Amino acid sequence: MNGIHDLGGMHGLGPIEFDQDPAPFHHDWERRVFGMFLPIFALGIYNLDELRHAIERMGAPAYLNTSYYEHWLHAYETMLVEKGTLTRAELEARCAQIARENA
Amino acid sequence: MSNKHNRPLSDVEIRVKALESLLVEKGLLDTEAVDALIDTYEHKVGPRNGARVVARAWVDADYKQRLLSDGTKAIAELGYTGLQGEDMVVIENTPDTHNVIVCTLCSCYPWPTLGLPPTWFKSAPYRSRVVSEPRAVLQEFGVSLPETVTVQVWDSTAELRYMVLPQRPSGTEGMSEDQLAALVTRDAMIGVATVQAPAK
Amino acid sequence: MPIGPEQALAIAVAGASARIELPVAALFKVGEQVRVRNINPPTHTRMPRYVRGKLGTIERDHGVFVFPDSHAAGLGEKPQHVYVVRFSARELWGPQAHAKDQLLIDLWDDYLEHASDV
Repeated sequence: MNGIHDLGGMHGLGPIEFDQDPAPFHHDWERRVFGMFLPIFALGIYNLDELRHAIERMGAPAYLNTSYYEHWLHAYETMLVEKGTLTRAELEARCAQIARENA
Repeated sequence: MSNKHNRPLSDVEIRVKALESLLVEKGLLDTEAVDALIDTYEHKVGPRNGARVVARAWVDADYKQRLLSDGTKAIAELGYTGLQGEDMVVIENTPDTHNVIVCTLCSCYPWPTLGLPPTWFKSAPYRSRVVSEPRAVLQEFGVSLPETVTVQVWDSTAELRYMVLPQRPSGTEGMSEDQLAALVTRDAMIGVATVQAPAK
Repeated sequence: MPIGPEQALAIAVAGASARIELPVAALFKVGEQVRVRNINPPTHTRMPRYVRGKLGTIERDHGVFVFPDSHAAGLGEKPQHVYVVRFSARELWGPQAHAKDQLLIDLWDDYLEHASDV
């Protein structure tokens, strides 16, 4: 699709920000998102091309304004819901529960 | 997972915990598998792997030929295989030609040899600019190329994963393979840096 | 059953290549001039818009791989050749680009047409 992810040659996306910290993960949640990639993929619910397309369908503002591993998280949620493994209601209910427990 | 923080969780942290806990409850996810993969890619796989490949190619001309003709097989000789490196292509920098790698569409990167990519490689500024103004981007990384050198940008749009075989700097004659490997940076294997001989 | 840590690490080491060992004929030859097809699919593709309609040369044939456009749409693997296609920077970006610079990109059979056909 002719989406925002297709960035080659675009102008106006700002200067390259050289990593001060070369570590691969900057937050623990990023570690979990990364670590879940292969085990969820191994369930055979979707293929890698479908997963990439889920990121491409995020919408331009969301894509540009969220971080890399948030793209992956969005893709897992999207694919698992679209393929019927989870429901939006389940995810939202669990999020609400965790938010209450950690308030 | 208990909350060991003293601050409320961010939205994204909540979403990650929600996803992981639901999948565990449904018998679809083993957290030990998640932990093992985090440990591997955070601590065990990284650019030191690629640096050994480069150093071997610098000291062994036959290995270099094998590396350039079948990157996957030659890299596997050193024990580096697997996810996001199943089909490897190694591109040689020469005095006439400087190569640099990008994935404009996402963040494709050769994990077994270079580990996980740096944030700048995955971000919009690099992905957008390096294909259309590579010399300006290289300049920002500290690489100045004469007009006589050709710059080749490689966009990893398929499942081939690319790495650059940087030029061996002069002043490194007689160095051991380990000493040579220590000079090779991740950035040199992406193509946004050249390898420097150690200062005397 | 979810995969455990040993199985996860074994899969990480083995990988999951998209290469398909089938004797599918290549549509293009190394050295041939090709034009990127003028297509604009709303579904998943790995053809960036910056090469659409541009004239390039087949540099290398990587062999046969899964075709992501069909695979992402649930239409099967459609195995076909993937090539490195070489473009001059000026072909892509106009006369302000450096005269010597080149762009090399992996493109599938289905993205390309013979330059002589157009």
